[in-house]
Amino acid sequence: MSANARGPVEALKGLVRRQYFWGIVAVALLLLVNLVKDPGYLAVSIGPSGNLAGNVIDILRAAAPVILIAVGMCLVVATGGIDLSVGSVMVVAGAVSMEFLKDAPDTVGSTFTALALVIAVSAALGAVNGVLVSVVGLQPFISTLVIMLAGRGLAKVITGGQNTAATNETFRWIANGYVFGLPVVFLLALLVAVGVGLLVRRSALGLMLEAIGMDAKAARLAGVNRRALLFTVYIFGGVLAGFAGVFATASVMTVDVSRTGYQLELDAILAVVIGGTSLAGGKFNITGAVVGAILIATLDKTVVFLGVSSSATPAFKAIVIVALCLLQSERVRRVFRQRRAAGTARPAEREVVAA
Amino acid sequence: MSAKQRIVQGLGLATAGALALGLTACGGGEGGDDDGLTTIGFVAVGPEGAWREANEANIQDTFTEDAGYELKYAPATNLDQKSQIDAFTSFVDEGVDVILLSATEATGWEDSLKRAQEAEIPVILLDRGIEPDDTDLYVTRIAPDNIEVSTAVADWAVSAFPDGANYFVLEGPAGVSVVNERNEGFDAVVGGQPSLVKVGAQTANWSTEEAKGVVETVLKSNNNDVQFIFAQNDEMGLGAVQAVQEAGLTPGVDVKIATIDGTKNALTALAAGELSFVAEYNPLFGETTLEVVEQVLNGDDVESSIVVPSATFDSPEAAETALPDRKF
Repeated sequence: MSANARGPVEALKGLVRRQYFWGIVAVALLLLVNLVKDPGYLAVSIGPSGNLAGNVIDILRAAAPVILIAVGMCLVVATGGIDLSVGSVMVVAGAVSMEFLKDAPDTVGSTFTALALVIAVSAALGAVNGVLVSVVGLQPFISTLVIMLAGRGLAKVITGGQNTAATNETFRWIANGYVFGLPVVFLLALLVAVGVGLLVRRSALGLMLEAIGMDAKAARLAGVNRRALLFTVYIFGGVLAGFAGVFATASVMTVDVSRTGYQLELDAILAVVIGGTSLAGGKFNITGAVVGAILIATLDKTVVFLGVSSSATPAFKAIVIVALCLLQSERVRRVFRQRRAAGTARPAEREVVAA
Repeated sequence: MSAKQRIVQGLGLATAGALALGLTACGGGEGGDDDGLTTIGFVAVGPEGAWREANEANIQDTFTEDAGYELKYAPATNLDQKSQIDAFTSFVDEGVDVILLSATEATGWEDSLKRAQEAEIPVILLDRGIEPDDTDLYVTRIAPDNIEVSTAVADWAVSAFPDGANYFVLEGPAGVSVVNERNEGFDAVVGGQPSLVKVGAQTANWSTEEAKGVVETVLKSNNNDVQFIFAQNDEMGLGAVQAVQEAGLTPGVDVKIATIDGTKNALTALAAGELSFVAEYNPLFGETTLEVVEQVLNGDDVESSIVVPSATFDSPEAAETALPDRKF
């Protein structure tokens, strides 16, 4: 990386300028708060079955589904769109897999068949979004809202309104298993994030998506195949949401038609925004989305660890998020900078603070 | 009341919201007896989960044509109160003989109930109550008693842990009346037992998945020193079972888990020894409702609140006996 070549100090400075830097700071602060409550919080031990166990591992596992949907959302938002249907696609994917596995033999083969079904169904739902947005030309907000409402209904039809449970060891392993001592879900999510990141940033794909988000007409005149790209992005977002649904249902091997993936589209949007992606489109940051997803998982776990009461939980989360958004806001930061500069003109100190 | 006054009142109601249907209410009233059947309008909740499904299917199976009833079933669209109010209003305009109401939201029913009262249609609340609880607006409320059910859990906990225990409560969404009532009944008994120490309470939104995540963290923050978990519904209890197992502990031995609802899944887990206590929140009150409807139509007085009896299951054997004819 070019940043590394200029030395670690330069790299750090580059990181500080990133918007998601404050997300990392927030995660660190939350961990610190937990550490104050219990000095052993960060300890990672070898669990009963020879795997790593600890609060940090739990956070990584909880972050995995959010990472997946945030990466998908990131690309959609880059094109100036939004995908409100991810939570519903998750529950449909969960319903399809549980309904299939309920009667299927407990084999590796059934797991793969279930995954194939999930890919097919979630890609189909993504394709409906894609067609409505790219071919019909509806507002992304409206088209995905349609799938958001219809999806949960579809899941209820698939399971007959029941919360369906199934048993399949391989499927369960996806959400609860470990490879190299780390949770499979987190490794998979990380793999997807890194893969997508490399694909869009090492090719012109990322630029094209941003071009569509900035000015669709100009992008088309410049030779960007807007329709095909939009179509692909929504399908890809759908498939990622489908896998997030697999992660969520496989964890307990039950699909809860009214709860699985409920309002997770909001978590995904939040993660994307924390990561410095503009909802206006034309700019995105995959690393930031991953940081945002980890922050959301850390926040959820912190609330439970600290024993914040149920009624105070939403307020607690809101305060953390608002504080973070204020820190990220260019205007607020400028005010702070001016104050510091006006107080004492000591550039050396500023340098230290910035580093 | 003169006809003029009634029309003015009708207009008032119309402007209050039911614009299209407001005027017809003045004339309506009797009717529906043409084919000798008693017409019942059922303003229902619709798909919500296994419990609700058992409850509404039971009502529909009770008020059959053979029993002399014509049941008009109107489930809410996406648990939306507006769709329920619309259905309620059209039942009033049709002039059904009795309205059964399971409200998705507790508040905002006064106007609709007053209209039914003016049309002299008795309203019976099923399961869900209304706020403010004005007993003049309806005939009776038929429901299992949450406080009674959670007291049963608490009584069991006291007897199951004579030497004391640390316990954690998995709640439903904050502020819902069911949650408050289940806490109230449980705390009233357990609060008086100093040997039972509450290590915390957190919502898992009735969800298995969320409950698993919560319990996983709670066990870590207490170094596995939790002996009892009270889950306010079956789904959350089943999530707790999985978290306990993953922490390397044995549910039913190291950590005892009690739940409320009594669905088939929970009784299966109780039979397997994973859950330790299941208190039923009985959804099958078709029979009780039928009796009450008959009394009301005969003009008899009924209590303003009727409690549906619920069973409890405290052993794998009890669960196995009950499992074959579980309806939900």
